[in-house]
Amino acid sequence: MAESEEEVDVLVQRVVKDIANAFKKNPSIDEIGVILCPEARYNRSPIVLVENKLGVESWCVKFLLPYVHNKLLLYRQRKHWLDREALVDITCTLLLLNPDFTTAWNVRKELLQCGVLNPEKDLYLGKLALTKFPKSPETWIHRRWVLQQVLNQVSTLDHNKNQQQAEAVQADAERNEQLSDRLARTLRQEMKVCSDAAGRYPSNYNAWSHRIWVLQHMARGNVKVLHDELSSMRVWVSMHVSDHSGFHYRQFLLKELIAEICKRPAHTSTSCSPQRGCSTVPEGSPCPHSCSHSNGEPSGQEAGGEEDSHADFTTVLQLFHQEMDLCSDLIQSFPGHETLWSHRRHVFYLWDQWVREHQHSCSRGSDCKLIHLTDPDPGVPEISSQSCAGQGHGVNGQKHASEPMEVDGLFLPDPHNSKRLKRGVLLPCPPTLPTELSFVSSVLGGCCNTEQRHFALAYRKWLDTVIGLQS
Amino acid sequence: LNRNCLDASRPWLCFWILHSLELLQEPIPAAVASDVCQFLARCQSPTGGFAGGPGQHAHLAPTYAAVNALCIIGTDEAYNVIDREKLLDFLWSVKQPDGSFVMHVGGEVDVRSAYCAASVASLTNILTPKLFENTTNWILSCQNWEGGLSGVPGLEAHGGYTFCGTAALVILGKEHMLDLKALLRWVVSRQMRFEGGFQGRCNKLVDGCYSFWQAGLLPLLHRALYKEGESELSQQRWMFEQQALQEYILLCCQNPTGGLLDKPGKSRDFYHTCYCLSGLSIAQHFGNMDNHYEVILGKEENRLAPTHPVYNICPEKVAQALQHFLRMPVPEIHFRSNKRGRSVK
Repeated sequence: MAESEEEVDVLVQRVVKDIANAFKKNPSIDEIGVILCPEARYNRSPIVLVENKLGVESWCVKFLLPYVHNKLLLYRQRKHWLDREALVDITCTLLLLNPDFTTAWNVRKELLQCGVLNPEKDLYLGKLALTKFPKSPETWIHRRWVLQQVLNQVSTLDHNKNQQQAEAVQADAERNEQLSDRLARTLRQEMKVCSDAAGRYPSNYNAWSHRIWVLQHMARGNVKVLHDELSSMRVWVSMHVSDHSGFHYRQFLLKELIAEICKRPAHTSTSCSPQRGCSTVPEGSPCPHSCSHSNGEPSGQEAGGEEDSHADFTTVLQLFHQEMDLCSDLIQSFPGHETLWSHRRHVFYLWDQWVREHQHSCSRGSDCKLIHLTDPDPGVPEISSQSCAGQGHGVNGQKHASEPMEVDGLFLPDPHNSKRLKRGVLLPCPPTLPTELSFVSSVLGGCCNTEQRHFALAYRKWLDTVIGLQS
Repeated sequence: LNRNCLDASRPWLCFWILHSLELLQEPIPAAVASDVCQFLARCQSPTGGFAGGPGQHAHLAPTYAAVNALCIIGTDEAYNVIDREKLLDFLWSVKQPDGSFVMHVGGEVDVRSAYCAASVASLTNILTPKLFENTTNWILSCQNWEGGLSGVPGLEAHGGYTFCGTAALVILGKEHMLDLKALLRWVVSRQMRFEGGFQGRCNKLVDGCYSFWQAGLLPLLHRALYKEGESELSQQRWMFEQQALQEYILLCCQNPTGGLLDKPGKSRDFYHTCYCLSGLSIAQHFGNMDNHYEVILGKEENRLAPTHPVYNICPEKVAQALQHFLRMPVPEIHFRSNKRGRSVK
């Protein structure tokens, strides 16, 4: 079917307009796609709108894309004029068909900067493009640019607010709330966009990298958000056990959370526990290792930071323990997934690092005991990582009368400490080299999946050669 | 990759095709070579560097591709296309204070940019230590606990980024500052036990292009470890299963009508053709000019030309380009203010 240049022109103009009208008619369009339809049968628009789904019949793409693409390039080379509305429509059409067309996003940047477009429009367009092209690097890059504009706006307003302290406090508080509402909404939306894109393409590097970027720029130090993400991700990763990026995200969350927990200042007037959730972390922590955290109770403090570092340690231990637990669970439920073993390595490695870094932050109290993370102990019965919370001994099944400050050792509050028992805190077993080795043995003992065997053996080799060598 | 619209990749097409031809030892007709030179000249930005196409803004990726393509052509006409002074200006314009480079003015940072910058700067002899101040430390911060490198610090280790970061450090002479053993452990774990090809990241599928991005790390590591005094290195083989990789490429990655691809079922494209062939070359050739050992799977006709593991163009072309540009003085950059209003010398 030979189309003359004019016919193509008319067709394309019509299609571009139809797309624009579809959005006007239905601002809730949430997915785009190409409808396989090799020939135009009837004299009707190739744009199909059903419920919230926008479809483009495939026959018109070969006309549409090169034509619109060319028009935009000519505009850029100043050989052809397009008014603002035409630019918006054309770039929208282009980007829905090929969101990696950088020039189109750049045109929209200019439109944004002169106020013709608002940022929400581009976030929406990007979100739609990602339903069909979940990896599109240019879409994610543009998205970050837009979010940065939004963040700059917000911080400008914030800054102005601070400068007008004399004015009505009420109005400021309200505006402040609106701003943080907007940020919170934007944050939630970004998490959703990332999550959807991650679901559409396995191990979607760009989607997860974006997710991390968003947290770093919009929720820096926000322990509540970190905790929420960690808990909402449990379900997701359990359903995507080969998604290395998803597990990497958990590793990122863990690292950030631990860094934040250990950063908190010695004195705050409100009790602040991760279980309850802190939305802001007070700035300028003077003392990295003693915090006011006290498991939900008002911070009636004992001498020095002893209680606080106990509590810190407990929180961190619980986080690691839960993570290892999740990992063990998934490894046993879904044999033969390399990601799960890689995750286990990373979590154990993080734990091992953390222990080494904090070995010197010993309490001065006399009820400290030490355990050795890498002590071999033939006497220890096979224990799963959950079962030793009630035991009155250190992990190695022996009481230690070791000296504090021993280089290889780990500070662990004595479970016999009556104050702890009163609170009913069950201290989970910290992961150790022996417990990991026994985990490997139990997997090897029970499994017949060749891949699983291979990964278990490789993990053991790693434990022996990498971790073992460090002690 | 969504390649419906390759408007920002035209120098790449030149490189992918020219490099494939040189690996296949197909001579490039003089007229074609000249045409390519003229086209790339039109892709060069008036402010320096090369863009994805005529009239677009300069970008480090097409800059890398264009310089490589011109070096493959290797004629004076080709070398003369490159405006070295402007290229240096361009590199300065994308350099960041923390040592990283953005891919283009106003764009994002990732470790590829350091490789692209180091590659073109070293080949055309415009490299100065000041230009790469802090870059080493920035690249090193991209190495994560897994041993591989991520696109920016803190992200997942990834084959493409790992190659770029490592090769950049090799150019800067700082590869020994990486945790080489961890990197070695990571990359060798990326060769698939069943397929023989390489994956880009843990638990992902095999992809023919990683035949270069991943396997290409082994020659770099071999040399780095050798320089560190590692005594147990082989004198004949790289530290990956060369035969298995060749099998994967030859048996699974060829389109019967020509060209190479990611994995069976995928369609051919020039990118995969280039990198599958590059990986095949790496798997066939061990060593360097002085100590060369070959492993050719199948017929002798399968033998490709060797490729330089840092630049991924043929080693003679690297030598020739260096010889040409080293005769020229390193340009002084023009006394001007950069965007932040500081004077830059």
